[in-house]
Amino acid sequence: MQTVHIEFMVNGKEVALDVPAGATALQVIREMLGLKGSKEGCGIGECGACTVVVDGKAVNACLLLAAQLDGCRLLTVEGLADPAGLHPLQEKMIEHHAVQCGFCTPGVLMSSYALFAEKANPKREEIVAAVAGNLCRCTGYQQIITAIEAAVPGENR
Amino acid sequence: MNRDCTYHRPSTLAEAVDYLATKGGETTIIAGGTDVMVDLRAGKLERRNLLDVSRLDELRGIRLEGEKLVVGAAVTLAEIHRSPLLANHAPALQKCARNFASAQIRNKATIGGNVGHCSPCGDTIPPLVIHQAEMVCTGSSGQRRLPITEVATGAYRCQIARDEIITAFVLEPVGADFADFQKIGRRQALAISRMSMAAMLNQDQEGRITMLRLALGACTPTPCRLRLVEEFLLGKKPQPALLMQAGELLAEQMIAITGRRSSIIYKEPAVQGLFRRILSPVACHD
Amino acid sequence: MTEERYAVIGQSVLRKGAREKVLGAAVFAADIDLGRPLVLLARRSDHSHALIRQIDVAAALAIDGVKGVFTARDIPGVNLLGIINKDQPLLADDKVRSRADAVALVVAESQAVAEQAAEAISIDYQPLPALFEPLEALAEGAPPIHKKGNLLLTRVVRRGDVDSAFAAAASLIEKEYETGFIEHNYLEPDAGIGHVDADGTLVIYASTQNPHYDHKEVVGLLDLPDEKVRIIQAATGGGFGSKLDLNVQGFIGLALHHLGHLGRPVRYIYSREEAYLATSKRHPFRIRMTTACDRSGRLTAMRVRAVCNTGAYGSYGIAVASRAAVHATGPYAIDNVDVEVQCVYTNATYCGAMRGFGAPQMALAHESQIDLHAEELHIDPLAMRTMNALQVGATSSTGQILTASIGYRQCLEAVAPYYRQACDHWLPAPTLPHRRRGVGLGGMWYGIGNTGVQNPSTARIEMAPDGSVTLFTGCADIGQGSTTVLSQIAAEILGLSPEAIRMVVADTKYTTSAGATSASRQTYISGNAVANATRNLANVLLTEAVNRLRAPKNSLLFSGGEIVVASKPEVRVAMATLARRIHDKGGTLSWQGFFDPETVPLDPQTGEGVPYATYAFACHLAEVEVDTLTGEVHVARVVAAHDVGRAINPASVVGQICGGVAMGVGFALMEEFEQGRTESMKDYHIPTAADMPEVVPIIIEAAEPSGPFGAKGVGEPALIPTAPAIVNAISAALNRRIYALPASLERVLAASIDAGHYRRKER
Repeated sequence: MQTVHIEFMVNGKEVALDVPAGATALQVIREMLGLKGSKEGCGIGECGACTVVVDGKAVNACLLLAAQLDGCRLLTVEGLADPAGLHPLQEKMIEHHAVQCGFCTPGVLMSSYALFAEKANPKREEIVAAVAGNLCRCTGYQQIITAIEAAVPGENR
Repeated sequence: MNRDCTYHRPSTLAEAVDYLATKGGETTIIAGGTDVMVDLRAGKLERRNLLDVSRLDELRGIRLEGEKLVVGAAVTLAEIHRSPLLANHAPALQKCARNFASAQIRNKATIGGNVGHCSPCGDTIPPLVIHQAEMVCTGSSGQRRLPITEVATGAYRCQIARDEIITAFVLEPVGADFADFQKIGRRQALAISRMSMAAMLNQDQEGRITMLRLALGACTPTPCRLRLVEEFLLGKKPQPALLMQAGELLAEQMIAITGRRSSIIYKEPAVQGLFRRILSPVACHD
Repeated sequence: MTEERYAVIGQSVLRKGAREKVLGAAVFAADIDLGRPLVLLARRSDHSHALIRQIDVAAALAIDGVKGVFTARDIPGVNLLGIINKDQPLLADDKVRSRADAVALVVAESQAVAEQAAEAISIDYQPLPALFEPLEALAEGAPPIHKKGNLLLTRVVRRGDVDSAFAAAASLIEKEYETGFIEHNYLEPDAGIGHVDADGTLVIYASTQNPHYDHKEVVGLLDLPDEKVRIIQAATGGGFGSKLDLNVQGFIGLALHHLGHLGRPVRYIYSREEAYLATSKRHPFRIRMTTACDRSGRLTAMRVRAVCNTGAYGSYGIAVASRAAVHATGPYAIDNVDVEVQCVYTNATYCGAMRGFGAPQMALAHESQIDLHAEELHIDPLAMRTMNALQVGATSSTGQILTASIGYRQCLEAVAPYYRQACDHWLPAPTLPHRRRGVGLGGMWYGIGNTGVQNPSTARIEMAPDGSVTLFTGCADIGQGSTTVLSQIAAEILGLSPEAIRMVVADTKYTTSAGATSASRQTYISGNAVANATRNLANVLLTEAVNRLRAPKNSLLFSGGEIVVASKPEVRVAMATLARRIHDKGGTLSWQGFFDPETVPLDPQTGEGVPYATYAFACHLAEVEVDTLTGEVHVARVVAAHDVGRAINPASVVGQICGGVAMGVGFALMEEFEQGRTESMKDYHIPTAADMPEVVPIIIEAAEPSGPFGAKGVGEPALIPTAPAIVNAISAALNRRIYALPASLERVLAASIDAGHYRRKER
């Protein structure tokens, strides 16, 4: 088995790993880094439960080759909160009852985080488009969208 | 974890071409990975040396070069969607990127991958067809260009040689009053196109069609330019009755290519419906 | 009814566990780390129907890294599973009945080795004809899938004289309806992990809806004493009925039983593909429904002949058929009823519980029939429903007299203004030329709890001498929020905040059974068990307080961790003080609660009985736009009014409603599991955020006297009216009815063409 040496940032910390050439980023995140917040729901990019943010963009970790993380900045759900407290997205998800079974929640948070990084004042339609790749079978999305809207960082809120 | 893969990330196109010259037969080119990784998981990836071209500068960027619009093969669908240049010069291509799969996939999937995968459902293909795009690829024997309609020899079967890399697409900019892309899927996101269509059209002052290009996606094994329909409508005013007639011609042309499969019960009327819908903004009602 | 004021009931208390979930710290079964695990993989059948002549595992065992390969012979106990009827082996013994059947179980060092070994197992089959259609399976001479034959059950409900009523009818409508297999598609694929603890107990963490049932089955499979198996529910990523059956639990138990001496944990995580292949589906139904009404629109009679396909095993099939039969009338009073629902074995993937148990399929039929009569008699569909709505005092088709908490009319009244606005303003408003708008209604009733059988729940509450409270419940919270709701019930009674109630949930070592998280039963039944336990505890505290405060019990209140004299709030005593005194006197501060709803079993010949102690009601309004050229349907808005008795946590009720509507949109428009073809999430479409209409949830509270603070349930009701409302709206938009779900692109475009909209001149 060929391994590939990669160096990248995980939630603000530098890491260096030798990863199997055929491993997915999701396998490495969960099994080598022990960050279990990113979930495998389908393994083929259809559910979004494994969504992480790489260099500011939301991607499906199951469709990313781990070797491709080399030199990147990776943010997982574990990196959202800081010592001062929860990220506003996390707070609003709780406050607006947007969490039911919680399996889709990390992915939804990461997609929303990437949206906010790109746009300070996304409209509701833009929020819907940003999380349309995050399937949820519990909530019907309404409370999720409302929570994300409530967490929008821009001044127009 | 897939044990028997190798991974190589060249830093230049030349290096990539060198690699392929010796290992092309066992190599799968990976950029966004959104198709390759699915095959890898399913155990369907036969060529297991992964050559990562996603960071090659030579494959990136969207620019005007003289009369032509050049889109790098490693340009992502998200970049296509955000590009003001494409919004101006290739609005149908830009629009196809808007509802492509999901935000996560748009951030990784590349136009080169979408074309090179040769899925009959690739959404970038009909817009590229109406822009009379050429695919540029580079291999050990140099660079060559291939019309977009000739890239696929069948569903999931690609003309590209094992030692070649798709580097760019060269498009004729729009130069038309009207261009659009529409698709039918089973849902609003993460939907493989059941059917897609791209159209580009010019009309004279009386409303007569002076230029029309029409391409169909997800219906035929390889990309399909609908020349019979184009010729039928040229010089005519697109009145509803005429469009209905043209739609019938379109369906006939499609069936001539695909034969009568069970899905045709839907596709035969739907392709006419989609055609009438996409051209409804330019229809003449006098 | 007088409005009581509550401190905690009716408050949208924040979810217990939500903080862990937003941090990514909630521990699902696949996240549990017990050290280097052995990996399990089942070898599934290569045939839909075949006898097994021989299984040769030698080649698999010879592979490096394989720790064991087990077959039916290695099961020491009873190799039969099933919560209602036991007909499903964990590992096939003499035959396979579907592709989902597991034939052997591999235990290996890694997934890759397990996959290699599973393939290396050689199975000698003698193929049998495979039957996929219930009518084929019922045909004379069809090969029996089970020894007892292919008919699992016929559920009958008969009342009055249907034929005479049909003869006198002003409107008589007979139609056939069809629904397909539906995949639950919970986001978390089934998973579990287990190990043998220091006492030799098999400890299994699993994604499950019913840990105490899992316990019973694993004990039975392995022939172990009860205390040697412990099931702990891991955080569970949705279930919707499919995690009521044993999925990975039995395999993990079997592997631990044989290989526990290795000292390694064993883990089984289904890939999504395996979850699709191997777990239950919603029963497809074919329903022939005939209904009659008089000139005024009053329904007089109904006849139903329905067949549902339970696939290879019974699972919850009997419950599905029974519930479908009982719910056939919908929330309407019909005096003459003749319903027969057959539940039939085939060689399809087995079907089991899924949100609604046959009621969603039946609702498509009864709600379509109402609209058909309304159209024929030129009656407004809302008026037609109102006229026929069940009310207090009505008798149901099983002869049950409904005495209280019948909120269907209130649901209709709540939807009425939206309906009028939609009809008067939204429908006529201009839209694109190739689009047509339609408005549709769907109604439902839903019996809370299991159908005509005992289905008790228990709970235990303990107060420590320092006054701190722990509630033990076997009730699996799979995302719906029962843990929060149960804490609210206990907190209300004790005058505490829900955060002050420590919850111990779904761990068979510490909790007693709460029954299944199914049938929308946990708020009502486990809520009552919790209330019962808590009131027992409250009573001893009050007794002690009477002594202390020298005031009669009926003058005392629980408030903020104290007991106070209502009229003299300054006279008070801390519960901690009381707890310490009770404890020191040797009194008990640990109380068990119990509740079993009062039901009477259905008579097998007539269906007479009291299937449920209470019913939930709902009405949905759907506004849709149909593209007449392509068959695409856009659902613009759904107004969803639900009588839940009492919303203990309104935001959670809203969450259930919105989630139910989403599942209903999927059921209506896009979901269809095709046997042998649907393999991954590329092939099965559930609604995305972009597919969702605006949902307007309306909570109606027709309090149920026997419910905890008046509560009933909402989990399944939320889904049931959506698809009928959407189908009625599409039918109204096109003037052509859709009789089979899903109302796919193909079916809708065909209806549009048939109705002449497709060729209509556009202007």
